[in-house]
Amino acid sequence: MTAVVRIRDLEVAYGSVRILEGISLEIRKGEILALVGETGSGKTTLAMALARMLPPGAAVRGYVEVDGWAIYDLPVPVLRSLRGRLIGLVPQDAMAALNPVLPVGAQVAEVFQVHLGLSASEAWARAVEALARVRIPRPEQAARLYPHQLSGGMRQRAVLAMALALNPPVLIADEPTTALDRLTQGEILALVRRLQAESEIAVLWITHDMGVVAALAHRVAVLYAGRLAEVGPCAEILSAPFHPYTEALVRTYYDLIHGPRGEPLYAIQGYPPSARDRPSGCPFHPRCPYRQEICQDRFPEILQRGERIVACYFPRGNAQ
Amino acid sequence: MARFIGMRVAHGAVTLLGLIVLTFALQFIIPGDPVRMLAPRTPSEEVARRIRAQLGLDRPWWEQLGRYLLRVAQGDLGESYVRRQPVARLIAGRLPATAALALAGVLAEILLGLPVGIAMALSPRLRGLLSGLNLILLSMPTFVIGIALLLALGFGARLFPTTGGAGLRELILPALTLGLAGTPWYAGVVRDRLEESLGSSYVRMAVAKGLPNRWILFRHCLPHVFPALATMAGMDLGAYLSGVVVVEAIFGWPGIGLLAVQAMQTLDRPVVMGTLLVGGASVIALNGVADGLRMILDPRTREEVG
Repeated sequence: MTAVVRIRDLEVAYGSVRILEGISLEIRKGEILALVGETGSGKTTLAMALARMLPPGAAVRGYVEVDGWAIYDLPVPVLRSLRGRLIGLVPQDAMAALNPVLPVGAQVAEVFQVHLGLSASEAWARAVEALARVRIPRPEQAARLYPHQLSGGMRQRAVLAMALALNPPVLIADEPTTALDRLTQGEILALVRRLQAESEIAVLWITHDMGVVAALAHRVAVLYAGRLAEVGPCAEILSAPFHPYTEALVRTYYDLIHGPRGEPLYAIQGYPPSARDRPSGCPFHPRCPYRQEICQDRFPEILQRGERIVACYFPRGNAQ
Repeated sequence: MARFIGMRVAHGAVTLLGLIVLTFALQFIIPGDPVRMLAPRTPSEEVARRIRAQLGLDRPWWEQLGRYLLRVAQGDLGESYVRRQPVARLIAGRLPATAALALAGVLAEILLGLPVGIAMALSPRLRGLLSGLNLILLSMPTFVIGIALLLALGFGARLFPTTGGAGLRELILPALTLGLAGTPWYAGVVRDRLEESLGSSYVRMAVAKGLPNRWILFRHCLPHVFPALATMAGMDLGAYLSGVVVVEAIFGWPGIGLLAVQAMQTLDRPVVMGTLLVGGASVIALNGVADGLRMILDPRTREEVG
């Protein structure tokens, strides 16, 4: 399978504060890669770095390639013309991502007007098609509505329609279902899987919800304190995690669903470190039950085991 | 919509009633004896009594208020002591000039404030310069701006007439004075709204969609500026329609403001009361219009209106 997105040694810093460090990752054609991590681990920064949409103060080092384009070598006008064509972005809060003073149809149509040079009426017709594609019922009427007149699930679909309007090879979704109820969330996830299977788009799905990971992802990348802890196929990672942090995440999730009643729930001890004050060596070591002295000194070499990689001196399971 | 208008009109009517009562009370504060103003030379007791009776001034105050309300309701604002003409006709004669100046002034405020505010929000380089200019304008009273313009462009460059009048050429300087005086306020609001909009998620989404900056500014950001601008313009329009006393006086613009000033100087009670009443009514009416316009410009409140 060919990689649509290649990230090599990506580092993002604001002044002396490093948000991301040593990120090397590929997203392949036709796969959904879930990026998992706690709040503050750098998930959104990674997504924004991919789209070259970080605020001006961010210092980015490393190499990012999307569909053959070296994103950070592009002149700004080219970059702008590629935005939307190359990467579709679904941000966290769908309500905020839609402009309250414009009908949703117009907000989809403008993508066609700007990128394809279509007239307003042609673009509108395409926008209605795009809304139908994300299964918005009665798209002709829905296109004329303003964001506040749509339900949360419908707004999320409208944002998805905008992101997918130009059939980009890559879709980045930043926890888009977090604000939705479980039922609506399930509908959106099913829709994304179906659209993804139809179009072979590569999806980077950012979440902290292991339930969403289990339901959606082909592969999983686990981010902890700005570093990749573990990457591998979803089923393998969920059944036999290598990294102690992944193990804790998976155990928390299973405990929540299958844990015996009345027993205390499993929880990872301690708190995730802030980006300003990260521990030395492996950043997980203060919270890790298997830590040894070496963990405090140096970040571990990355181990490759078939399809999986892990950054740990003492990985769990059959990685040794 | 009908409900909104009904509420607004009822609200405005109550305010107007309060205004009328206040104006009525004002005549007991304004110095000067109407009898002396109307009578030739020093009137005899008998003449003074007849004049008082004619004006109804010998009645108790509540009866006078009742008559006053009744007259105002019929559009009768009394007769000028000095000019011996109906006050309503005097004001109506000045209304076109005042309306022209008010409209031109508000237009100038928008035409100056909008681009200045946009430039301040978009260009960090221009922000310092324009903030400085705004501060200078803000610290100058309107009459200073007016006199400066009159001296520089009227007497100095001789581009504009200095002798007063109600023509189009005479309109430019007073309108510009109002515009410059209002620019810092308008620019500030435009800048605040625009910066709020530029930092929003929908603008980030618009960038991610690959839309050009100009497209994002005009289509996504400016619509968030207009409701606030409409409110300000409506309130200013109402205020200016009540007469821009200082500006009209400086430029000799024959509007309601000038009429009011002359009436006060001559203690012409009915005219003072009439101009106050008409001015207040226009403020009330235009505030209502501004509220409606703001609601119509924002789709989130539009349904409540329509």
